[in-house]
Amino acid sequence: MLATAPLLAARGVSKSFFGNPVLRDVSIALQPGRVHALLGENGAGKSTLINLLSGALRPDGGAIEVDGRPVPRMSPAYAQQAGIAVVQQELSLTASLSIAENIGLGAYPRRFGLLDYPELAVRARAACDLVGLHEPLSMPVGQLSLGRRQMVEIAKALYRRPRVLILDEPTSSLSANETKVLTDLLERLRGEGIAILYISHRLNEVMALCQHVTVLKDGTCTADRTLEGTDARGLVRLMVGRDPGDLFPHWQPSASAANAISVRNFSAGLMRDVDLDIRTGEVLGIGGLVGQGQEDLLLGLYGAIPARTASAIVKGASGLPSGVPKANALGLAYVPADRKREGLHLIHSIITNMMLPTFARLPALKLRSRRAERETARGLAAQLGIKGDLDRPAQALSGGNQQKVALAKWMPHDPLVLLLNDPTRGVDVETKREIYMMLRNFAAAGKAVVLLSSDTPELVHLCDRVAVVREGHIVAMLKRGALSEEAIVSAAMGAEQRKVAA
Amino acid sequence: MNTVAPSGQAGALYWPVQLRRNVGVRSLFAVVMAFLVAYGFLFPGLLTASGFAKFTQSWFPLALVAMAQAILMLTGGISLAIGAMVSLGAVIAATTMTGPLGIAGGAAAVALTGVGIGAATGFIVVKLRLPAIVVTLAGSFIIGGAALLILPRPGGAIPEWLSDLLAGNTPAAFVLLMLIVLLWKLYLATPLGLSLYAAGENPVGAYRSGVPVDGARIAAYAISGLLCTGAGLFVAAQTGSGDPVIGTAFTLNSIAAAVLGGIGFLGGQGTMRGALAGSLLLSLMISVMFFLGFTPVAQYVAQGLIIIGAVATPQFRKVQQ
Amino acid sequence: MTAWKESAGGRRALTILRSRPFLTVAIVAAVWIVASFVSRGFGAYGHLRYLVELAAVIGLVAAGQTFVVIAGGIDLSVAAIVTVSAVSLPLLSWQGDPTGLTAVLAVLALTTTIGLVNGLGVALLRVHPMIMTLAMATFLQGLLIIIAGGSAVTAENPLVRWLGNARPAGIPAGVLLWVAVSVIVLAAMHATSFGARLFAMGANPLAAALSGVPVTSTTLAVYGISGFNSGLAGVLVLGMNGQGYVGIGDPYLLASIAAVVLGGTSILGGLGTYAGTIPGAILLVTITALITVVNASPGWRSILFGSLILGLLLLSGREQARR
Repeated sequence: MLATAPLLAARGVSKSFFGNPVLRDVSIALQPGRVHALLGENGAGKSTLINLLSGALRPDGGAIEVDGRPVPRMSPAYAQQAGIAVVQQELSLTASLSIAENIGLGAYPRRFGLLDYPELAVRARAACDLVGLHEPLSMPVGQLSLGRRQMVEIAKALYRRPRVLILDEPTSSLSANETKVLTDLLERLRGEGIAILYISHRLNEVMALCQHVTVLKDGTCTADRTLEGTDARGLVRLMVGRDPGDLFPHWQPSASAANAISVRNFSAGLMRDVDLDIRTGEVLGIGGLVGQGQEDLLLGLYGAIPARTASAIVKGASGLPSGVPKANALGLAYVPADRKREGLHLIHSIITNMMLPTFARLPALKLRSRRAERETARGLAAQLGIKGDLDRPAQALSGGNQQKVALAKWMPHDPLVLLLNDPTRGVDVETKREIYMMLRNFAAAGKAVVLLSSDTPELVHLCDRVAVVREGHIVAMLKRGALSEEAIVSAAMGAEQRKVAA
Repeated sequence: MNTVAPSGQAGALYWPVQLRRNVGVRSLFAVVMAFLVAYGFLFPGLLTASGFAKFTQSWFPLALVAMAQAILMLTGGISLAIGAMVSLGAVIAATTMTGPLGIAGGAAAVALTGVGIGAATGFIVVKLRLPAIVVTLAGSFIIGGAALLILPRPGGAIPEWLSDLLAGNTPAAFVLLMLIVLLWKLYLATPLGLSLYAAGENPVGAYRSGVPVDGARIAAYAISGLLCTGAGLFVAAQTGSGDPVIGTAFTLNSIAAAVLGGIGFLGGQGTMRGALAGSLLLSLMISVMFFLGFTPVAQYVAQGLIIIGAVATPQFRKVQQ
Repeated sequence: MTAWKESAGGRRALTILRSRPFLTVAIVAAVWIVASFVSRGFGAYGHLRYLVELAAVIGLVAAGQTFVVIAGGIDLSVAAIVTVSAVSLPLLSWQGDPTGLTAVLAVLALTTTIGLVNGLGVALLRVHPMIMTLAMATFLQGLLIIIAGGSAVTAENPLVRWLGNARPAGIPAGVLLWVAVSVIVLAAMHATSFGARLFAMGANPLAAALSGVPVTSTTLAVYGISGFNSGLAGVLVLGMNGQGYVGIGDPYLLASIAAVVLGGTSILGGLGTYAGTIPGAILLVTITALITVVNASPGWRSILFGSLILGLLLLSGREQARR
């Protein structure tokens, strides 16, 4: 197997943006019939490497080789011809077009200059069957859930019959079931001799699926080896550059008997007739498969979407907050999952982003003090370890640092209830650890933390209790002693019915 | 879960896709039908050949500019120069068709002007990255100025038989509109045409998928320009002469019709059939108010209210849920 | 300039030199200097003062437009509101109030209310701003014909006449009004939390709402301000003209948008400043004046005007790709 030339390779490539080196002398070789993992913290240069391999960018130095021959002018079009397909982290789909039209986009079969719909149907159906997409091909993609859209994205790559398949965090929005379908599929494709490059923050997936690993740290390659004989801990060490220690802080009980929020027969969005008590000093986890209504629970409590309830007591006041400003006044804060769309103002400076809740709260015509704003922001940046010029726009920050800003902006208000929507999605290990520490510290300081998460280990190790949501209901309330990944997953899948114990 | 779906029915894809596109505009179609029935009931003349001809003639230019605006809005653009383009088309037709160029030459001049100016606008917006709303705003001055240069005051002429053919007692306007719709369907069935949606809604993703995003958008501006000057030719034929400011009202009406038809401002949202239905609805409203003897005042007031109502109602329902 | 005295003064100054408002000021200065050499009388104090006086009307309308655009909307009803103000004011009796102030205040209350209705449609009914304000303009057009019936009405209100004609200390009252409004607008935009909320709403309305920004009331306020400013511009234009008629406000829709964009405010919202709109308005008036000097036919004038705006945009108005 190793005698053949790699299907796609980078030889000593370098790339800088505006004088900042992002990649330095990095090599990677994708062999047929092998699943190759690419690991690294956010900002380590993974996306840049993918963009070089797929022709979206050209290297400053070094070469990209296809079938052992250097390609001087790599472009997306050439990559497509050479059979290189990329499943991007940010979806490339068009909501108003049908599944089939999306899958064929940019590579439609034609007849007499027109799009050949019968041919497209056959080929798109074949690609969909591979990933287990059984929705009608004519269905607009806009009607699919996020997870299903991700599967369409993968089908779109397969439709191009790739020899090299690059997947950038494909499982971040997939359910356990869909992840299983995908891993089975990748196994099969590997057997057919396709070279696969797999990027994921989920180390257990990497351990189960991949044979070879390349680790990037700060733009250089720190490891290029087989996965045999390593464990997850060893991988983290390679990525972070030192012993990871414990990812999760030591758990100590800090919950009190007092309720921060108490609702009965609460309905909002997909959630129906939920009873829930959130205690001060606890981290309450919200788990379940993606899209079962968990987000609506948070948004409803926060007053961001209309909600109904039989009775509600929020921080001693009766009734749910009627809007976000009311919720903020009661001491609630919300950190959204989609930082770029819901959390941050990317074109505005870091300072402005951090100060926004303050602006929202102050009387409208109160004069601003730029000096005080800068001081507050400096304090927050120091507290959370956000480095560099605070006048830069937020889009200049890495994902982990953006998440820190999204959290930091609430700190000056000392919120009593923190509603967090998947705060560690797409965040590197080191930042994850810092966020976990912060959450436990909040709880220890007597605040209530509600943590919605798609990462089950996080729920198990961090939470005092976990509410598992399925089809708009809380189907299980697992206490600390009963918490395990198996318990959460089986409750989420409905394998085991439990009585709600609120 | 892992059962293989039957793939025998795969052959039929085009029509199911088309049917699903109707979903968003069904209620609009119902409203338009109701208006049509009411109109036919109030003015049975609609069912006669000449009544039908007159009605479709009053709808035709509005339908064209609604399409012109909808194409741009689908790609995430907009044009505030629609009215000026209509005027320019009208004055070119009125000054060339009775001259040495003749009818064919004049029509070609109108079409080439539309495509050329449209493509140039598209080039500035897409390649030079200027906001469409501002470019077309400035463009409306340039294009309107050109119309004034060609014909400083109303005048010129359209050959009488052409006026009779297009705007007389014939269903020519309706036939032409059907032809244009058919051509649009054909365009949308080409890879470049269908790319409109992807280029408007998710340009980065479309580019990565190998879609010629810039090309699709510039082509949209060119087609839009062609439709506008074509509408101008028709308007000139209706009045028998050219007028350098005759198109002014079409800018606002084109946006109103497209939005009534469910076209969104963000690109990739809505369908051309919706925009056409929107233009029909607007045209019906204007005719009904005219025949009911509404004063222009009441017409303006009612039109403003109806547009807000039509756009706000679905939103309001969404909030209520 | 206090910027020089601050610790990071040098950097601050560089930022100002590179900023769009400064660029627009530089263009205006360059055009003025060149034009006064080329065209006799252009550079005379009286002529330049006249230009600024004309720019004041645009500047007032564009002040409201800048607020709306920064907050992520657009107001296409400004022209109609200017006309409403200029046409309805002469019809209001001012007997019993020798200053005429009550009538002016009543008209401003009316136009502010019109703006608030725009805001209601945008914020509560969630109608797209372009449609809402367009429909409002159509609606007002009908209303105006009822009120004025197409004939011009003469303004006899003393306050309005003073505003249009007086020159305390040699400076036209309209320009003084513009200066006062500019100071308030700039302060509201850049020195209050209200201003900070506008920028947040324009850059990312969803994130702003989830951060606790009271989106509904802020939107209402923004369109209300635009209505108020257009009303004020209507009062001024009435005073300068002496007569109000249907259509008097028409030039100000395009002018207000052009001034905002020439001044460097992003039409997509979230970025910009009224400090750029001010020279933008003066630039527009200057271009118009130059074109009049050229003495071309209306067609050529229109073409020149459009081409110059397009050229200036090419020079400085690139939008960064954003999504």
